[in-house]
Amino acid sequence: MSSVITVFPAVWAVARREFKMFFRYPSWFISLIIWPSLFPIGYIFVCKALAGPNGESLSTYASYSGTTDYISYILIGTFMWMWLNVMLWGFGQALRTEQIRGTLESNWLAPLQKWFLLLGSSVYDMLRWMMFMVIAGIEFYFIFGFRVQGSLWLMLLVVLLSIPSIYGVGMVFASLVLWAKQANTPVNVVRGVMMVFTGMTYPIAVLPQWMQAVSRYLPLTHSIEAARAVAAGSGLKAISGNVEYLLISGVILFILGFAGFGRTERIISQHGSLGHH
Amino acid sequence: MSEPALRVENLCKEFAVKKKGGLFKRLFGRFGNGDEDSNSDRKSFVAVNKVSFDIEKGEIFGLLGPNGAGKTTTIKMISTLLRPTSGSVNVHGVNVSVDPQRVLQMIGTVLAGERCVYWKLTGRENLEYFGALYGQRGPELKQRIDYLLDRFQLSKRADETVEKYSTGMKRRIVLARALLHNPRLLILDEPTAGLDPQAALNLRDLILELKGEGKTVLLTTHYMEEADILSDRVAIIDHGEIISLNTPEQLKRDLKQTKVVSLDVLEWKDQFGDALCAAGLVSNYTAQHDTANRRWRLTMHLADGVSVGAMMAAYLEQGNSVQSLAVNEPSLEDVFIHLTGKSLRD
Repeated sequence: MSSVITVFPAVWAVARREFKMFFRYPSWFISLIIWPSLFPIGYIFVCKALAGPNGESLSTYASYSGTTDYISYILIGTFMWMWLNVMLWGFGQALRTEQIRGTLESNWLAPLQKWFLLLGSSVYDMLRWMMFMVIAGIEFYFIFGFRVQGSLWLMLLVVLLSIPSIYGVGMVFASLVLWAKQANTPVNVVRGVMMVFTGMTYPIAVLPQWMQAVSRYLPLTHSIEAARAVAAGSGLKAISGNVEYLLISGVILFILGFAGFGRTERIISQHGSLGHH
Repeated sequence: MSEPALRVENLCKEFAVKKKGGLFKRLFGRFGNGDEDSNSDRKSFVAVNKVSFDIEKGEIFGLLGPNGAGKTTTIKMISTLLRPTSGSVNVHGVNVSVDPQRVLQMIGTVLAGERCVYWKLTGRENLEYFGALYGQRGPELKQRIDYLLDRFQLSKRADETVEKYSTGMKRRIVLARALLHNPRLLILDEPTAGLDPQAALNLRDLILELKGEGKTVLLTTHYMEEADILSDRVAIIDHGEIISLNTPEQLKRDLKQTKVVSLDVLEWKDQFGDALCAAGLVSNYTAQHDTANRRWRLTMHLADGVSVGAMMAAYLEQGNSVQSLAVNEPSLEDVFIHLTGKSLRD
């Protein structure tokens, strides 16, 4: 059985392949330079308008969010959401792209377990997101004076702990792409629901009670909440509840996603529909 | 006795064919029209039926048949992309269903078309990428890539993106990709389809060179000349079943007792041919219209013991005329017509 260590060069080859093709399309710099800063800026201006000319309403905002620094609050939320969104859909998107390119079957002929190919595409997504974040951080440093006060190591821990649950759900989307080919509609619905329920740009305390109850079940809510707490300078103890939830949900969702993908792989090899799109 | 490079035994593939209909039709149609038998929406289609053959080491084995005969389905089952409904496939003694990863290390597959590589990567980058997927790396991989690029006359254009390659070059880079890990069995699905005659000729030469190096090759084709030139043995497949298997020479020799007559005529109706068949003079015939010369080209396989003169007399008695007549040496196309009653192009 191929292990992660023996197939690491293959996983890295997938990521390198995607980077090469990404940079071969001249419009790459638009997504790299403009989009990361453009996405949160609208929410920041909405908050600025609601805060009043001298920030009179910020105390109300602070009573829900625990901070008057709405810029950092929104930036951390949107950074995390962009990453989680890219990773959630990354597996499915990678398979869909291969289906349309016509290269999925030739990749499937390689003697390695197929989820390593997905892992490679997620490494590419992760690195691209990190590039986005560095560029966005620099842009917001100069535009809004954005600073991260907390520990970067702890922030990295939050990111790492979010991965298993994200990969689990991502595997479900990947299975959907293999089975149904076109999975844009369910993906967009899930994306929209996540955006509303996880408090990407606002504290979930403003949501109705039943929506708050739902949001507590979403791992993404805990990732964003923990990242915000760490960015504001909190320690591991303050985010222990989020860490616990991310660990447990990560194990469950990863196992479910992995099993679902394996099952779907078997079904499509019976139907012979791997290369269809 | 040594074990064959490939052993296919009683291979079957049956697909469920779902009746197309909208969601509403599927949900409510059953209740609306009183059809409560949900099974009526499901039919099955047998794409491959009890296919068996062995390929010996170093042999080129051709799977010849028209489009939709089951060639690609068979290849996909051998290449682990498709799970058989029943039957077994063993590559050098390893069962495809039991250890697919090991089988994939032993085979190199070229699927139909040239979209098996990344057009936005260079030829060299494609080989580096696929080499890494096969666990190759370092100087050894670089050396292998340089060798294959040189071998397939791609060295000069190796650092250009594949999208700038001609169709023949794209096909060569796909073949180079399949050979990266030096597989023992090479599987080629319609390797020359869509190539111009010169590019097809070059590719056929390459395949023969690979055989010379001891590679075992399984190729599918619907070009009978290709199967004839390249293959040591040919299996003729139609409607998912192998209907004949032998060397091309033997297949043609078997047919030699049957006379194959070519006729050029100005007027043709199928009823003329049907009458000859009904009279027991002709076993099979095909008719193709030559638009440029405004005439019909007929190929007639005479029934056993029937002379050309007897058939022609009966044909002319129907009031027909003939522009030209030739008695041919049988080709694999004639073998196919003789066995199936239709042309490969039908």
